[in-house]
Amino acid sequence: MIYLDNSATTRPFDSVIDSMSLCMRENYYNASAAYKPALDVERAMNACRQAIITQAGAKREDEVIFTAGGTESDNLAILGAAATMRTSANFLVSSIEHPAVAETMARVERMGFEVRLMPINARGMIDLDACEKLMDEYTAFVSCMQVSNETGAIQPVAQLSAMARAKNKNVLVHVDGVQGFMRVPMNMSRMGVDLYAVSGHKIHGPKGVGALVVRKGVRLVPQMIGGGQERNLRSGTYNTPAILGLHKAVEEMAARQDRAQQLLALKQRLWAKLSVLDGVRVNGPAPDEADSAPHILSVSFDGVRGEVMRNALEGEWILVSTGSACSSHKQKVSASLRAMGLTDTQADGTIRISLGLMNTEEEMDAAAEKMEKLFMLLRQYRRR
Amino acid sequence: MRQILLVRFGEVFLKGQNRPFFMRKLIDHIRFAIREVGGNVWLSEGRIYVSDFSDLDECIRRVTKVFGVHSVSPAIEMPKDDFEAICAQAAEMMRPLSGTFKVLARRSDKRYPMDSPAIMREAGGYILEHVPHLSVDVNHPDHEMMIEIRDHAYLSVERIPAVCGMPMGTNGKACLLLSGGIDSPVAGFMIAKRGVELCCVHYHSFPYTSERAKEKVLELARLVSEYCGRMRVHVVPFTEIQLQIHEKCPENFTTLIMRRYMMRIAQIIAEREGAQALITGESVGQVASQTMEALGCTDEVVSMPVFRPCIGMDKSEIIERAEQIGTFETSSLPYEDCCTVFTPKHPATHPRKELIRKAEKALDSEALIAAALEGVEVIEVG
Repeated sequence: MIYLDNSATTRPFDSVIDSMSLCMRENYYNASAAYKPALDVERAMNACRQAIITQAGAKREDEVIFTAGGTESDNLAILGAAATMRTSANFLVSSIEHPAVAETMARVERMGFEVRLMPINARGMIDLDACEKLMDEYTAFVSCMQVSNETGAIQPVAQLSAMARAKNKNVLVHVDGVQGFMRVPMNMSRMGVDLYAVSGHKIHGPKGVGALVVRKGVRLVPQMIGGGQERNLRSGTYNTPAILGLHKAVEEMAARQDRAQQLLALKQRLWAKLSVLDGVRVNGPAPDEADSAPHILSVSFDGVRGEVMRNALEGEWILVSTGSACSSHKQKVSASLRAMGLTDTQADGTIRISLGLMNTEEEMDAAAEKMEKLFMLLRQYRRR
Repeated sequence: MRQILLVRFGEVFLKGQNRPFFMRKLIDHIRFAIREVGGNVWLSEGRIYVSDFSDLDECIRRVTKVFGVHSVSPAIEMPKDDFEAICAQAAEMMRPLSGTFKVLARRSDKRYPMDSPAIMREAGGYILEHVPHLSVDVNHPDHEMMIEIRDHAYLSVERIPAVCGMPMGTNGKACLLLSGGIDSPVAGFMIAKRGVELCCVHYHSFPYTSERAKEKVLELARLVSEYCGRMRVHVVPFTEIQLQIHEKCPENFTTLIMRRYMMRIAQIIAEREGAQALITGESVGQVASQTMEALGCTDEVVSMPVFRPCIGMDKSEIIERAEQIGTFETSSLPYEDCCTVFTPKHPATHPRKELIRKAEKALDSEALIAAALEGVEVIEVG
């Protein structure tokens, strides 16, 4: 089995599984309890906060709020901030966000705020000139993903933030870092990011855990009410096994300093073999460009439906997804791909290949070979 | 005193000399349906009773899905000698209810000291006295308290309608062409309801349809099997046939020719399964392959009768039925059961048989069918 759907989820590191199992077997204490074993668990959790702060390029005094994953982190950032604002404020959001952001923005709109959509260009990047025209002194919240989950385009978050701050110095900049965290550099302080959402299971950690990094001084209204954990911002007993597992994943990723290089080398190796085929195109920045994430490759096979290609690859024990896994259930043409100017047929013929640290060069070669073989076979049968 | 379930059966009582056969089937199916909640099923004086189950609601849910059952009533079985106790129990059962009531009585034990009118009168009076918020209406009561005196006394108020039909397996066997759509599970249900045992055929076009599409079909089969019991689904690899048709036949005939192959293969599988008919979910005029002429073209290739119980139904009626039997939600899942690569832009709506026959000559039918049958995967559901 060659697993090339790491943007949907990744296989956890063995050490992650071990640390979770140890936590459940022996250190199962409620981290909020008063006795020492509980305190030890709390300390371990705080070490995880520190590791995330370092990796997100945040400051020591900034906060890390543990959540149940990327979706909850995005919800808390957006709804939590909106609840502190007057409806004269407007929100800016890119037009290619994951539903965790896009649908939450729809809620914000129903709350009475104006939500403005930032357009993207043919390379799948937000169009900064157009964005600037959308901003004004009432722009209170700007949300843009770090890396597009569909094309792997690294978004110009720093420029966007600077631009917004020039219009309104109190603007909050939110970045959905689910596809970017620890694979593409993030420095919240330097890049002017106030709210950064990350997820555990995309970095070989456990599912059901994530975090929202909140710059000190940013006020949020809790969206989960209860026992007052996380300084009252996110109530609920700590999911300690998952948090400790997340810590281990962050540590393992951090220990591989060449991780981005390693992923990029794999991606370029695969693309080198695919790009020579007639009728194959890459969507978004090309793999040798600086704004292309090292682990995501969106490829269109001319005349072969993405779904058919995906099924056929599955038959060869190679797992990929069409478009992005989250929208592939709905089976409509991807809004991002269409926004990038692809025709319906081209967008329909797209698969997403996403790499993880467990992939190998041999897998790239084998996958490329199978893709070529299937492309040649399947392209013969077109709708007449 | 214990809680039992009284089961009424529908059309079976119309049967004459072979009635015991129908009854035996019906009891077997009820036994099978409740196997997971436990319970005894027994026949007494022409009535079916279920007792000693672990969960009444689940037992009702399952028994009301057995074909041949007309309605059920949760009932209390108690000794018949103490009439005062019977009245007290009846009043107890009526207490949570409101509105009007009447008491019905039936006495099969003719040695019982009171006759039916006396039982009705006495029990009715007792209830009226002890449950003052109820009143009597003998013509259109909201509730009917049924008291039956047999070997024991049986008291019941509630009557829950069941699926009706005839006991499964009393009317032969048929083979259902099951797609992932809304219509075919409904068609299967409707024929199965008449006591017909089912088996299914599904055509799978990997990689043009996905594993999930196949899983969806199996789930639909499982939902139908909640009514008709365990059955076999034959999953036929269909890609090669579709590709050959796509390549060698005129575009406007491709769907029809595909349908003809589906029917041919289904008939062979039906014969192997000992089935005597085919079932499809077609409705006249719904799509191009379901016009009168098109149906004629697909019927032509098989000798078995083809049952199309949805033939005169509107789509909305079929959907309503699918919702009732619980298959609509699964049918509406988005996984495609047919790839658009193979759907012609302008399918023939008034095909002429001789042209179709001629177009089909381009294919090596025998080899294609043999190869498809070779790859059949049989999955048991239910």
